[in-house]
Amino acid sequence: MPTEPIGLSRDLPAKRVMRTMVDGQDIAVWRSASGKIAAWANRCPHRGMRLSHGFVRGENLACLYHGWHYGAHGRCTYIPAHPELEPPATIMAQAFSVEERDGLIWVASDGTAEPRGLPGGLAPLRSLTFQTAKSEASEAFSSTPFEGNPPAVQSSDAGGIVLRVDVDSRTLNIAAALHEANQGETTAHLLVSDEATPAQKVSLSRWCEAVRRRAEAHVTTRGQENAA
Amino acid sequence: MSFTLYNWVLSGNCYKVRLLASLLDVAYETVAVDFHPGQQHKSEAMLALNPAGTLPVLVAGDLVLTETPAMLAWIAATFDPSGRWWPTNDARAMAEVMEWLAFSSALTATSGEARLKAVLDRPIDLPKALAGAERCFRQLEQHLVERRFGGGVWLVGDHPTIADIACFPYVALSPDGGLEHDAFPAIREWLYAIRGLPGFKTMPGIHELHELREGEAVHG
Repeated sequence: MPTEPIGLSRDLPAKRVMRTMVDGQDIAVWRSASGKIAAWANRCPHRGMRLSHGFVRGENLACLYHGWHYGAHGRCTYIPAHPELEPPATIMAQAFSVEERDGLIWVASDGTAEPRGLPGGLAPLRSLTFQTAKSEASEAFSSTPFEGNPPAVQSSDAGGIVLRVDVDSRTLNIAAALHEANQGETTAHLLVSDEATPAQKVSLSRWCEAVRRRAEAHVTTRGQENAA
Repeated sequence: MSFTLYNWVLSGNCYKVRLLASLLDVAYETVAVDFHPGQQHKSEAMLALNPAGTLPVLVAGDLVLTETPAMLAWIAATFDPSGRWWPTNDARAMAEVMEWLAFSSALTATSGEARLKAVLDRPIDLPKALAGAERCFRQLEQHLVERRFGGGVWLVGDHPTIADIACFPYVALSPDGGLEHDAFPAIREWLYAIRGLPGFKTMPGIHELHELREGEAVHG
């Protein structure tokens, strides 16, 4: 079953929670105070509250609703209304396999997460969400000129695209790991050669905005043609 | 010199004033105005004070302010001797803050309107308001992404300003109207930084950070 890139590791610091969808499953991804990452079904086993609304308490995630704590492997560790009770082992949040590699967080909807390989020497740029399918986002990355020149495609598959662009007489690698979290809504998680300067990152970030405009304009045009 | 705030607790614009006053540790009086369901902001007494019939209204002696950015500027200029929250000594920083004060009105007109539809069922075109809010959020996200490349956290400069306070509430409250923060990681980081400021004050729908409640430092 698919392993999807759901975010940049940099964008999930310790003690934070985020939400994603993988293969139709609603998932809360969170990082403990000591830096351990976990991905769980986004549903508190108690009353069904989204765990992505919860708070990290040390090595546990506490539900916003009644404060039930969940720790290692999703197991309930504490119920505030019954502080003396050791919660039964059967109360568990459903855990998904999660791995971090190359600055990206990868989650599998089933089985063990198997991150795809990316070139080395990359640093996080940004994530941005397109109101398009994955294929349209990918097409726009390869076809949108950067400073007048089309980027050179190094590799491209269903999961993303690796490009090479020339900036200030340097050649930089850009990797876009693509995740269609909902149908017709794709997030591109972007990494760039780690020697890129802040000014070059700004240029590339603005190019990403142009890529998105191109992809979304294409979708709008096609929609109008279909309606006509 | 203090002031009186004509206030409705669920208003994001009223909250901007309460939040800045709390961050600057300024004491003030409030007069509760029943915006909903009482429509008290349209009463004769309130219209005599503010013909526009909007909230908040700030009164300090014979000064009456009805626009939130003006209130934030006046409070910062009056109560912040450091001059950092409203940087009038730096032409560029001051102009950049004014850019975001104007932008905050676009947030109110989009994200704020979507929330009024969702919470009070006001007659508002929700898809249009949400589409406008999405455009605003993309613009804000792009700016914060670029700020972060240079190590910046705040909208302008290396200290929070009234620009951050003016833009914060209707971004933070947008899930009420149906626009989640999931697609905007730089915005999430900025919201978190504001919630970690010393003297931060909550409103219904905007929580404090749990680690602050537990006495841990966020930027420690």
